[in-house]
Amino acid sequence: MSLLLVRDAIIFSSLMIMLSAGLTLTYMTTKVPNFAHGEFATLNIYLNLALVRLLNINPYLGTIPAFMLGGAVALVLYLAVLKPLMNRGANYVILMIATIAYDMILISLINIFADYLNRIHKLITRLFQLKGFDIEIFGQPGLFIIAPVLAFIMITSLYLFLNKTKFGIAMRAAIENPSLAEVVGININLMYAASWFISGGLAGVAGALMPLYMTCNPDIGIRLLISIFAASILGGLSNMYGALIGGAIIGFAEVLGTGYLSTALGPWVVPYRPVIPLIIMMLTLLLAPKGLAGIDWKRFMKKVG
Amino acid sequence: MALPIPLTFLIDLLTLFGIFAIISMSLNLEFGYTGIPNFGKMLAVAGGAFFVGAVPGRVIAYLFNIPAELDFIKNNLEVVSSLNQVLTSEPVISTCYLLASLVGAAFAGAVLGYVASYPGIRLRGDYLAMTLLAMAEVLKIIGDNWEPFIGGSLGVRIPDPFRWVGGEHRPLYVALTILGVTAVIFVYLELISRSPLGRTLRAVRDDELSARVYGKDVNRLRMKTLVVGCAIAAIGGALYSFLTASVSARDFNRVTHTFWPWVMVIVGGASNNLGALVGAGMFVTLRKLVTFYKSYFETIVPFDVIWLEYMLLGLALILVLLYRSEGFIPEKPTKTLKRNYIVNKVLSRIKTKEGT
Repeated sequence: MSLLLVRDAIIFSSLMIMLSAGLTLTYMTTKVPNFAHGEFATLNIYLNLALVRLLNINPYLGTIPAFMLGGAVALVLYLAVLKPLMNRGANYVILMIATIAYDMILISLINIFADYLNRIHKLITRLFQLKGFDIEIFGQPGLFIIAPVLAFIMITSLYLFLNKTKFGIAMRAAIENPSLAEVVGININLMYAASWFISGGLAGVAGALMPLYMTCNPDIGIRLLISIFAASILGGLSNMYGALIGGAIIGFAEVLGTGYLSTALGPWVVPYRPVIPLIIMMLTLLLAPKGLAGIDWKRFMKKVG
Repeated sequence: MALPIPLTFLIDLLTLFGIFAIISMSLNLEFGYTGIPNFGKMLAVAGGAFFVGAVPGRVIAYLFNIPAELDFIKNNLEVVSSLNQVLTSEPVISTCYLLASLVGAAFAGAVLGYVASYPGIRLRGDYLAMTLLAMAEVLKIIGDNWEPFIGGSLGVRIPDPFRWVGGEHRPLYVALTILGVTAVIFVYLELISRSPLGRTLRAVRDDELSARVYGKDVNRLRMKTLVVGCAIAAIGGALYSFLTASVSARDFNRVTHTFWPWVMVIVGGASNNLGALVGAGMFVTLRKLVTFYKSYFETIVPFDVIWLEYMLLGLALILVLLYRSEGFIPEKPTKTLKRNYIVNKVLSRIKTKEGT
């Protein structure tokens, strides 16, 4: 029983890590929380549904077009909406509203696509799963192996990209000190666009894997968004490594917490699952507003130990 | 006597306008004047409605000696219909019930606003926006799942405070009540915006540091604004419940009760109560027209037309932000005393000094 829970937690944590790393990356560059991030994933849930059911493609191959679509959607948000607004001197509140407006456009696209698949191709598009299309590895669902591996590969390549390539180092410079980077001749705009593309791509991959793990619905984006925000805030919102740890903690806390509470109190607690990330988010803001990355761990250990 | 159809259409329109005007004015107080990005507007609206669904009906059932074995949620239909029978002949008690419920809803909204803003109020607005959004979603989940509260996904019917009016004239009375409350709130917010407090709030929005330098407790002002804003929005939610005489968590979602008010405030013109009213008016009228012509489109596209509407609203908001960010009615400069008045004051003071 509890082994199954741990398996679930590992899968969900892997997805959360990809999502919160993406959100944190764009927060670091544009300094605005992207309220459309959940929909970047949801759009690709439906892309993968169409690919798997209509073209009989392996769901894991679907992550490649999902990366492209997620990236493209994020790129459009940055280039067509956020950048023109920033050029006009809009503050971060206006930018947040713009991401919500974009979120609404994506919600409508997702629902139109879901209705289309449902009415024309007779697919079940509300409350569906693709677990039956998963492959088996050592008697375990493939997602249990592939999701963590994929998350690990994506995060490691992001790390290598940011630290070992010239482009990546330029990108970090653009994130940390835009005006100085511009003086040295770095094309900030290109760097920001690249970070949005990567962010959307990561969300897209997580979205493509989502239906293999849980029941999906067009309105799942908001539920994901609560967890993504909680993970990113826990991680400190402006630290990539924080986002990784935050994503892992939120993933485990949600799955294990709901699992244990439902065995202890009864299955009625299951729908209240989003309460767990909300509580973690609020506690983080109250106790350590800068998140795990902002805590002075040496001093903390001295105080405790 | 039945009302003519254009009149019912107008009454319908004004009712919806009143409710959304209240909600968008409350958002305007928070965002327009004080600069708080409340992305959980639904929290307070749903909070007010949930309060009306959960508390006043039970209190009235207790006061009118409804047998205790009839549960307000499980035997909802029986309890409410017997209460309605009593209320039919009691205009005074009905009105007291309505007013007390509105006050209670405002209080519930204020408490929610306080709790939701407590963790994030000291940080930059984006943290607050994220917590408010998450809180609103969680409140909806609770309302949707916790049956003893407001009947879970089925919702709950509430005693109708307009029963004594009689069926045919009910819409008119509801509309008048809602418009009356809207007018009171408009005057209150207008007075706030012209008072020193209103100018202080704008200072908090425009330059937090300067406001601090002049000894203003910025966090406290922000929290108070959110509490008042949430109380007003909760009244809007409560009025909506009395309009339908029922409460259901399914009626509230972040599109209708967070995104739409934002569209109204921004399109109408932020930090401008009139702008919020105009925004709400334009929005409600357009939506009515869209619903009118919806059936025509329904036959030619393979999806629900409502999604097209969402997309157009999203696009419209982005376009307004890009090309007319001040909205339909731009913010006016703060009202000051007339020049002649000041000159006369100074002159008379000089004269009295010379006299002594």
